[in-house]
Amino acid sequence: MSENTKNSEFFSIRDLNVQYKSGDQTVYAVNGVSFDLAPGETLGLVGETGAGKTTIAKSILRILPEHAVKKMEGEVLYEGQDIFRMNDTELRKIRGHQISMIFQDPMTALNPVKRVNEQIAEGYIQHHHCTKAEAEQRAEEMLELVGISKDRAGEYPHQFSGGMKQRVVIAMALACSPRLLIADEPTTALDVTIQAQVLDLIKRLRDELGTSMILITHDLGVVAGICDQVAVIYAGRIIEKGSKAEVFRHPTHPYTIGLFGALPDLKKDVERLSPIEGLPPDPTVKTEGCAFYPRCARRCEKCKTYAYEPTNLTDTHMILCCNPAGEEEAK
Amino acid sequence: MSNLLEIEHLKKYFKSARGTVHAVDDVNLTIEEGKTVGLVGESGCGKSTLGRTIVHLQESTDGVIRFAGKDVTHLDKKQMLEFRKNAQIIFQDPYSSLDPRQTVQDIIQEPLRLLTDMGKAEIEKKSEELMDLVGIEKRLRMSYPHELDGGRRQRVGIARALALNPKFIVCDEPVSSLDVSIQAQILNLLMDLQDQLGLTYLFITHDMSVVRHISDYICVMYLGQMIEKTDKKSLFDKPLHPYTKALLSAIPTVDIDAQPERIQLKGEINSPIDPKPGCRFAKRCPYAQHCCHEPVPLTEVEPGHFVACHRVKEINQL
Repeated sequence: MSENTKNSEFFSIRDLNVQYKSGDQTVYAVNGVSFDLAPGETLGLVGETGAGKTTIAKSILRILPEHAVKKMEGEVLYEGQDIFRMNDTELRKIRGHQISMIFQDPMTALNPVKRVNEQIAEGYIQHHHCTKAEAEQRAEEMLELVGISKDRAGEYPHQFSGGMKQRVVIAMALACSPRLLIADEPTTALDVTIQAQVLDLIKRLRDELGTSMILITHDLGVVAGICDQVAVIYAGRIIEKGSKAEVFRHPTHPYTIGLFGALPDLKKDVERLSPIEGLPPDPTVKTEGCAFYPRCARRCEKCKTYAYEPTNLTDTHMILCCNPAGEEEAK
Repeated sequence: MSNLLEIEHLKKYFKSARGTVHAVDDVNLTIEEGKTVGLVGESGCGKSTLGRTIVHLQESTDGVIRFAGKDVTHLDKKQMLEFRKNAQIIFQDPYSSLDPRQTVQDIIQEPLRLLTDMGKAEIEKKSEELMDLVGIEKRLRMSYPHELDGGRRQRVGIARALALNPKFIVCDEPVSSLDVSIQAQILNLLMDLQDQLGLTYLFITHDMSVVRHISDYICVMYLGQMIEKTDKKSLFDKPLHPYTKALLSAIPTVDIDAQPERIQLKGEINSPIDPKPGCRFAKRCPYAQHCCHEPVPLTEVEPGHFVACHRVKEINQL
């Protein structure tokens, strides 16, 4: 399929595995994640706390704390080059320039003792070898782009509100016009009306600049508004992946179905929510068979030995489940 | 049903270096026994302060609080202990609202030891019942909070609040720090407990879908003031205040076929320090006019539907 070859040429992750050390124990954070991204496309990575979303994002840029990582394997291919095999000079050319990241918490992602224009300009000077004045002019342009008056360019982070700080972080990430933007819960710390403003801003800039994006979130509603593709993560694995329409109209993995069922609905009245019973598995224990088994409503004998052979429902819709509900039952 | 809680013209001001913070400014509220009133608004709008002032974690600056017909605005030490048996609170962050050096059992038993004359055996029995009621396994009774996950910690917080058989509980964002699948477990638990024990809740949250699920009546706050107050159905079917409309339109929905038409608000929330008279939302409001600088009371626009907006009739063509 020509579409597919085009995909993997731009950006793809192949069989990513990340393990942390924690005392004597090993934390199995990411277990065999693969996906492709086409230019201009937005992928939503959805999952709950500890599912491994942020670990995936940080391994793309190789910014995981080295001392904590026990093993990091797989391929992260950007335009055919494997980021994991790059030396520091090559990596620095890509990081913050071709691929950049918006961090979750704008309060801690900014340097409190540096003016915001300097922080935005910092990366630009690095990658464009320009003068400080040029870079600061770029910083002012970026601030205007995200809706902050350039009069405030010389202020410090504490002088801005939460929503404005997140705009500064966005301006920083976009200053070098990256081709791929990784946004790690960019609106989680914000109020809902401010979240709407920031999401609209990200969407508008993405469309204007043609940037591809990986959006990490726990909020299915945010995904519905902004993404083209969706990948649902559980215990470090993508357990369901497909186009937004496929995953939202026909969620098929029991965990995905459970997630939708646990959400209070804004339009329908339901007597009781249907929570997913139990808790996410302990990431320090390597389980045999399916990791969702103890919480799954459809568990059976096969699941205990399930080796994660993917089931392709369509060309683009994939699940990791050996006993999914049929078309009839899912409804 | 009679009103369990009545609040009139309640104010809570804080002094700060830059002026007086009007955290709660002239709020009226009544809660019927056995019902849930949802209190929504964005961070800094004073919803937590209101909840904490009602249960006397902070003393009010002005106004009247009546509980079960009695004036409880000012309480001496003995009256306060009596009041605490009836009114309890569940906090937002189950990580910081439990003593890290007490075991689960100690935490749940503490109110019983302090405020009842139960004997040791009775307390043991009651705490076991409570753990059962909120779904904490018995084997965890000697565990410390850091050994529990967020959902279980919140269950401990709920058991502690229920220990004295209160009539009324302020739930201050009890599910905000929990994952969706766990959040649903806790919401179901709170609703079951209400049915079993006839509890009355003031449920504070910023999450509109949660508030819609759990509440009978909903109040919307903006910068210390109540701007809209009605039953759940009218609020979601026919919001009248421009801020409520914008708030509802901003919620991300999972329905990919019906993405809402967003009402974009200009700017961000104003400062609550010495606010000017008049509508506090006017600066961000798409309908603001000159008249909006006049003070605006909460008025009954339709039966049971209260709104504080000068132009509510024009905007909604009532």
